[in-house]
Amino acid sequence: MRRFNDLVQWHKASGQSVVVHDLTLTPQSQVLIVRFPWGAWVWHRPTAIQVERNGRVERLPIVDLTRLIQLGLVGLGVVIITIVSLEQFARRKENVA
Amino acid sequence: METTSTLFTLAEKREEQLSRVLEKIYSAAQPGAVYSEPVAAGNYTVITASEIAAGGGFGSGLGFGSPTTPPQQQGEASGREAQPTNSGGGGMGGGGGSSGRPVAIIIIGPDGVTVKPVVDVTKIALAGVTAWGTMLMLLRRMRKASKR
Repeated sequence: MRRFNDLVQWHKASGQSVVVHDLTLTPQSQVLIVRFPWGAWVWHRPTAIQVERNGRVERLPIVDLTRLIQLGLVGLGVVIITIVSLEQFARRKENVA
Repeated sequence: METTSTLFTLAEKREEQLSRVLEKIYSAAQPGAVYSEPVAAGNYTVITASEIAAGGGFGSGLGFGSPTTPPQQQGEASGREAQPTNSGGGGMGGGGGSSGRPVAIIIIGPDGVTVKPVVDVTKIALAGVTAWGTMLMLLRRMRKASKR
C-alpha cells in the first residue's frame, strides 16, 4: 500500500529570483499535488513575494481577495441559517412548554 | 501469440501516454507557472500572479474472448486445416484540463513594490447568488415548517 505522503503532497515552493531595478524579487507559492493510480491533480497558488533591497528583506503577502469574499459570503449564509434555526428551535421548545 | 504482442504494445503505449499526461500536469506545479515574466513599461515593471489548477487521468482496458474456429468451408476452400483464432480487443483513453485565474498584480516602480489584488466580480456574484439563494430557500422552508 502506498503511503499518504506519496499520494498527497502539500509544500511551499520558491521560484527563481528576478532582479528589477535595484530590487531582488523571489516569488513564493504553495502547491498541492494529489496523485491517483491513473492520473494526478495539481493546485498551485501564489502566497508571497520576497523583496530584497540593500540587504533588507521584506515579505509581501499575496491575498486572494476573490476567494476571501466568496468564503465570506458562504460563511455569512451558514451563520445566518444557524442563528435562525437555533432561534426557531428555542421558540418551538417554549411553545411545547 | 498475436494477442500477447498486442497486449504488450498496448501496455507500452499506455505507459508512454500516462507519463506524457502526468508531465504536462506536473508542469503546473513549477514555480514559474504561477508568476508571469516581468513586463516593463517605462519606469514600471509588472508581474502577474495567478492561481492554477490542473488535473488529468488515463485509463485502458483489454478483453479476450474464447478461441473461435472459422467456418469449415473457409478452411476447406483455402486448402488448409481450420485453425482456432483468439479474439479480443482493447482500448485506452484519457483526458485532462487546467484552469488559471489572476490573483494579484505586482507592480515594481520608483516608489517600491506594491501588490494589487485582482477581484473577479463574476465569480463573487455567482457565489453570492448561489449561497444566498440557498439560504433564502432554506429560511422560507423553515418558516413554513414552523407555521404548521
